Amino acid sequence: MIFAPNSNVLVQGITEPLGSIYTPLMKAYGTNVVAGISPGYGQQILHDIPVFDLVEMAVSAVGAIDTTVIFVSPYAALDAALEAIASGIRQIVLITEGMPPADMVALLRKAESAETLIVGPDSPGIIVPGQLLLGIHPTEFYMPGSVGLISRTGTLTYEIARELTLAGLGQSMGVCIGGDAIVGSSFPQWLQMMDEDDATEVIVLVGEIGGDSEEAAAHYIAEAIDKPVIAYVAGRTAPKGRRMGHAGAIIASQVAELGTDIGSAQSKITAFERAKIPVANCPSQIPTLVKKALKLPTKK
Amino acid sequence: MDLLEYQAKELFRNIGIPVLPAQRIDRPKDLKGLTIPYPVVLKSQVRIGGRGRVGGVKFVENTIDAIAAAHTIFNLPIMGEYPQALLAEAKYNADLEFYLAVVLNRTLRRPVLLGSQQGGIDVQAAIEQMQHVIVDDQFSPYYARRLAIKMGLRGQLIESVSEIVEKMYQLFVQNDLDLVEINPLGVSAKGELMALDGKVTVNDDALARHPHLAALDPKAEQKQAAYLHETPVVMESDGHIGIICNGAGLTMATMDMVCQAGGKPASFLNIGGETRWDFCHTTLSQRLDSGLELMMQHKHMRVVLINLISSLVPCDEIAALITSSLERIKTNPPPPNTKINKLRSTTLTLPPVRTPSLVVRLVGNQCESAQALLEAAQIPMLSSLDDAVMRAVVLAKSGGRSA
Repeated sequence: MIFAPNSNVLVQGITEPLGSIYTPLMKAYGTNVVAGISPGYGQQILHDIPVFDLVEMAVSAVGAIDTTVIFVSPYAALDAALEAIASGIRQIVLITEGMPPADMVALLRKAESAETLIVGPDSPGIIVPGQLLLGIHPTEFYMPGSVGLISRTGTLTYEIARELTLAGLGQSMGVCIGGDAIVGSSFPQWLQMMDEDDATEVIVLVGEIGGDSEEAAAHYIAEAIDKPVIAYVAGRTAPKGRRMGHAGAIIASQVAELGTDIGSAQSKITAFERAKIPVANCPSQIPTLVKKALKLPTKK
Repeated sequence: MDLLEYQAKELFRNIGIPVLPAQRIDRPKDLKGLTIPYPVVLKSQVRIGGRGRVGGVKFVENTIDAIAAAHTIFNLPIMGEYPQALLAEAKYNADLEFYLAVVLNRTLRRPVLLGSQQGGIDVQAAIEQMQHVIVDDQFSPYYARRLAIKMGLRGQLIESVSEIVEKMYQLFVQNDLDLVEINPLGVSAKGELMALDGKVTVNDDALARHPHLAALDPKAEQKQAAYLHETPVVMESDGHIGIICNGAGLTMATMDMVCQAGGKPASFLNIGGETRWDFCHTTLSQRLDSGLELMMQHKHMRVVLINLISSLVPCDEIAALITSSLERIKTNPPPPNTKINKLRSTTLTLPPVRTPSLVVRLVGNQCESAQALLEAAQIPMLSSLDDAVMRAVVLAKSGGRSA
């Protein structure tokens, strides 16, 4: 994965509402946005960035692109991502929420064979504090440091980044894998990345109810991660889903050889505890646990 | 969105999955015009499984019995849901009952074909025998045949069952389904197959690109994501704290903290994070305004805790919105919708309108001017989430409401 500060970044959907707000912010943060895509806007310059009608036109004009950030509408996201892959882009950040899962299945089949990293959808993307913004993280809550932050959710990640920053704990990277049911990159992938990353000393993993990403992460941490990990799970008191008497929904989780209880906050917390990973009760407890893991004094 | 059985079977019929002759019955007297010969089976059209065990399915031999049975079924709620229609269907003598489904598995991130020779009412038996095939790559009929073999089928049934699975998969892909299930698939003594029940769940995010399916349930739109961000979710009827947040994770975390601090949430509202492609200032303001109004109407609500983290909308703008919404709600209370309120509004002296207290926690730009704005309106604004939660819980315990 290439998340160097000088890597070439493309924005697809640069004229869409979210894209037009965040592209200048990404650029102002130091991200090297080399081109934007918006069919019909080719040859224009927006936010000092050249706009092209097709990704391949951007590539031939500005050279190879490392990462694309996609802001297009949900039903256009699959096509945008496929177009990026076809032009040789190997890192895709999907911000857009509400992409149909069938489109994600189609995209992942393609991305896996093309060895392309997909982050998202429904994700604020990636931030390397002080260096690089690939998405919509509010930069004011972050500062450079050694905590790697991985999560599934947007605003809660900002909350935790802010808590860390206030406690004097900067971050090496913040990444959201996305809140939709089917997402590209997984917790284990990012855990491995941060385990190998020299700038990261400790990892904070923020989970929530639904699916089994946290259970898989707990298992993976116990097996393969050397750096200390702190976990937090949101949704202990969330109302349970009402899909009762629905054989397909029950069976779907059994197919993956998981119990029917999978997905609850308790199941996830138990999985972390079994893997001997400290679990914070609330966001403000995370800095304390991080300091403990780093053997820093915990008194404020 | 879940389709009703008759709607699912309409999809089955169109794609060539065998279904019995059937007729939708909207009222008992429709049975006089029944074109299917008796005996028939009448089935309650509700979206809940296990209706047969609670009397939602009845076999009838003639019109008189049919009308009586229809009356009974129309008046029988199944887990609180009354049927809007019945399905009258020819009776079928199945020798065997299989289970077949195609589901989207979020962990595997692929569609999965499911099959069991033990279909029917006993879902547990089906689960124990369940075979599955992951559709890793582009679908081809061999995936379906693989399932049939794994199910233990032999001879003719391999081909005939996998043809049905293939058609189910086509339906699954064409219509953006989360689930298509046939349970049971009846197998006659001669080896003929018949979909005796059908379950189809359309993915909510994809519904907008399938208008013919969206039209089947006019209420489905209300259950969609956009709508969810505008209507509070009721938690506990005896709770007295309302929670408004932006983003699902933050909403859940805030709710957890309120409970941990000994508070009882009455309802919560996630006005949505900022990953919607068409997000703009007005999205947040409109949802906050209407959400606040709905929360304030709640009878037992003592405190509404607003916890927003925004990088797009400055905090002072949000604060101004909160004060103006509150002013509007206080001076112009929403139209009464309960009988007691109706009585009140007819009396000449109106009782003072008591509204829940607000506790606001905003994080983002322009926090200081936001604080000044809210303080002028006597609304506490805190920057720490812990403090805000504590304040809300303490206020709720002491009564909370202000005149």
